[in-house]
Amino acid sequence: MAPPRDLEGLPPGLAKERTELAWSRTVFAFAAMGGVILKTSIAAGLTVITLGVLIWGVGRLLPAPGTSAAAPGRLRLVAVALTGVSLVALAVALFGHGAARGLLS
Amino acid sequence: VTGAEAGAGGGAEAGGGEVEPDARFTFANERTFLAWARTALAFVAAGLAIVQLLPPFPGVPWGRRLLGIPLIVIGGVIAVVGYNQWSRNQRSLRCGEPISRSVLPRVLAVAIAAMALIAAIVLLLSAILEPR
Repeated sequence: MAPPRDLEGLPPGLAKERTELAWSRTVFAFAAMGGVILKTSIAAGLTVITLGVLIWGVGRLLPAPGTSAAAPGRLRLVAVALTGVSLVALAVALFGHGAARGLLS
Repeated sequence: VTGAEAGAGGGAEAGGGEVEPDARFTFANERTFLAWARTALAFVAAGLAIVQLLPPFPGVPWGRRLLGIPLIVIGGVIAVVGYNQWSRNQRSLRCGEPISRSVLPRVLAVAIAAMALIAAIVLLLSAILEPR
């Protein structure tokens, strides 16, 4: 099927749906990450899972078309949360004690 | 797509010479950032899993950390650079400027290639140094 000539004339409805799905996938990824960290540190894992829930709430506040000015704070929160998760994971990797025999042994 | 093209159709005047871009471009930019965020999370999860879940490499006790810690650091870098990229793209869309080229694909390619090389070296070392 050939793409329509005038892309600007299309309604943005499906784009919003796709973006909502992308937020959902991101939240699932956060939850999975929290589950992995939970195995090592319950407090850190619960924090990451809580962050995932927070991001889920923020993701539901998608701006209406034409109001993208509302977005920077939401995406900044995701970036800050990700950096925090990286730092937590780094601390766990550096100072945590890995599984003595490992899952695959 | 340039910012001028994005703002030409469904865009609205946002003041200060900036144009509110078409919503679809804003959403696409946001989805791209979220995709990079998931990539960053995957790197962090992979690094953490290597350090915490893999059994130690025989003869190379530091092998897990050598593989896992760089992956976690790369994940953090991708998160920060991804946000900067989103911010730059959004500004370009609003100002009608060309979208700048992203450095993230190159970062990703170099990081994966380097990690594959390090993993191969650790595995080889482990095979050589393994106590019999």
